[in-house]
Amino acid sequence: MSLLTVSNLSKRYRRGGNTVIAVDDISFHIEPGETLALAGPSGSGKSTIARLVLRLIEPDAGGIEFEGDDFLTLHGAALRARRARLQMVFQDPLAAFNPRATVARVLDDPLRIHGIASRAERPRRIAALLERVGLAADLAPRAIHEISGGQRQRVAIARAIATKPSLIVLDEAVSALDVSVRGQILDLLLDLQRQERIAYLFISHDLGVVRALAHRVILLDAGRIAESGDARAVIDAPQSAIGKALVASAPKLKRTTQDAS
Amino acid sequence: MTALAAIRDLTVTYRRDGRAVAALKDVSVDIVAGERLAIIGESGSGKSTLALAIAGLLPTTARIEGHIDWFIRPSSILGAQAPPSVLPDISPTRGEIGSSVAGTPPAALEIGESGGDSAISPQVGEMSGRTEGSAVERQLRHLRGGVPLLGRDIGFVFQDPSASLDPVMKIGKQIAEVAHTHLGLGWPQAYAKAKTLLERVRLPDPDSALHAFPHQLSGGQKQRVAIAAAIAAGPKLLIADEATSALDTIVQAEIVGLIRQLVAEDGMTLLFVSHDIALAAELAERIAVFRHGQLVELGTTAQIVGAPAQPYTRALLDAHIGLDAEPLLNRAGLTL
Repeated sequence: MSLLTVSNLSKRYRRGGNTVIAVDDISFHIEPGETLALAGPSGSGKSTIARLVLRLIEPDAGGIEFEGDDFLTLHGAALRARRARLQMVFQDPLAAFNPRATVARVLDDPLRIHGIASRAERPRRIAALLERVGLAADLAPRAIHEISGGQRQRVAIARAIATKPSLIVLDEAVSALDVSVRGQILDLLLDLQRQERIAYLFISHDLGVVRALAHRVILLDAGRIAESGDARAVIDAPQSAIGKALVASAPKLKRTTQDAS
Repeated sequence: MTALAAIRDLTVTYRRDGRAVAALKDVSVDIVAGERLAIIGESGSGKSTLALAIAGLLPTTARIEGHIDWFIRPSSILGAQAPPSVLPDISPTRGEIGSSVAGTPPAALEIGESGGDSAISPQVGEMSGRTEGSAVERQLRHLRGGVPLLGRDIGFVFQDPSASLDPVMKIGKQIAEVAHTHLGLGWPQAYAKAKTLLERVRLPDPDSALHAFPHQLSGGQKQRVAIAAAIAAGPKLLIADEATSALDTIVQAEIVGLIRQLVAEDGMTLLFVSHDIALAAELAERIAVFRHGQLVELGTTAQIVGAPAQPYTRALLDAHIGLDAEPLLNRAGLTL
């Protein structure tokens, strides 16, 4: 049984007097411990699909099954409980957190709200979460706006894993990071996937990162699936027009005298 | 190789939370006339501060030491018409006290104001404590030789075109205004020029775009308009500061191709500021690598990419994840 099954999902927006079809009859599935990437140009529907899967917005048509349940009909306590298993990390953690909140507060919330740890136990759990994402425990009293972008994204990952999710939606989660930090965050994500068997819905415009990190990829164009399959097979030999355009436009570093030293 | 500008011992300090933070430390670099020079670095490297300093756009609170010598032909500068406050007073800059680099007087002095400004400009520490003088005036004191004018001699394209375009002014007027102001064209001619520029930046349907507002265009189209406005007065130097970073890769490649073409056609010098070493290498002839406010390495693109001398440059190259990279999944043993 798939972890997540999305069937014939559609979402339209009204913009001005026009109707924009953001997501048009999309179906896919994610297996436990798998990384599925969604890639495509701006406006191809990537982020709309992420928000639909997270139920931040409701679809016009289609179904979402998560861990065997119809995710779209869940509500109340059942929805809250299931949401603990489906977490998210966005591009800009500063926009996702109260900037004045401390790191400890940001991590305390999910532990408290989902009843994962008692008040007495939570400081220890927070320290363990910080350690798990490679941060020092003495970062806990610092304010979110005081720490670096890379540290903030680690805190966002720590918060996401606090509720022991089976799936994390990563919406351009490494796109704004400096390249030196990006590598460390990707390593952390892979390590978590190996240790906890977490699946990722990895949304990115960067085909190089998608090819390196994802098992499978879906290339989107104007809300529809242009092509999909094994990430390396698709990106190494794209068949669709948008796939060819994305590959052609990716900046390429030609290190002719590689490792000259 | 003739220099368009020579940046000498440039140090820029911001005050942040009561502390002085050096955004640029003793940076010396020549911008060669007609070249495509990339300034690359990660956040906090000082790359944008350098671009702003060159354009005279630093905030009033920034403390500036060192200087920039310009070698722009008199026909294209307004140096002679510069306001009196630009004229130097007699105290030397700190950059000059602390360094001997400011040796050769720039050739442009012959055509500039009085030759006396080669070694004299106001003391910065002193200036930053005063309230008089606009930011631009204050920064002009650090520019020697001819004084370039932003908009006329320097075109600047920012990351976010929405921030540089007036949301309630029609596209045509925003571009025509540049030609009207800096080239002295009458409005009909300025509008004709705007239409030609919209064609040059390959905006679909330039006639209706003239009457469109920025919000009616896509991000890529807005950036094309911002580029049209930046080059409207025929600047010698075009500065693109992360101009394609907010765009998807397909639009990014189009805009980079457009910049390359316009720079070649108009004989402009390009300063391309980016965090992306691979993108910079595709466009630039030379690359300057910055880190923590300092110039780490400067060389031809072939040298920087093929044989980096500094470990940091090598680390940046190694961190690039290209379409031929070894999959991280394999390394982590996560193949399904």
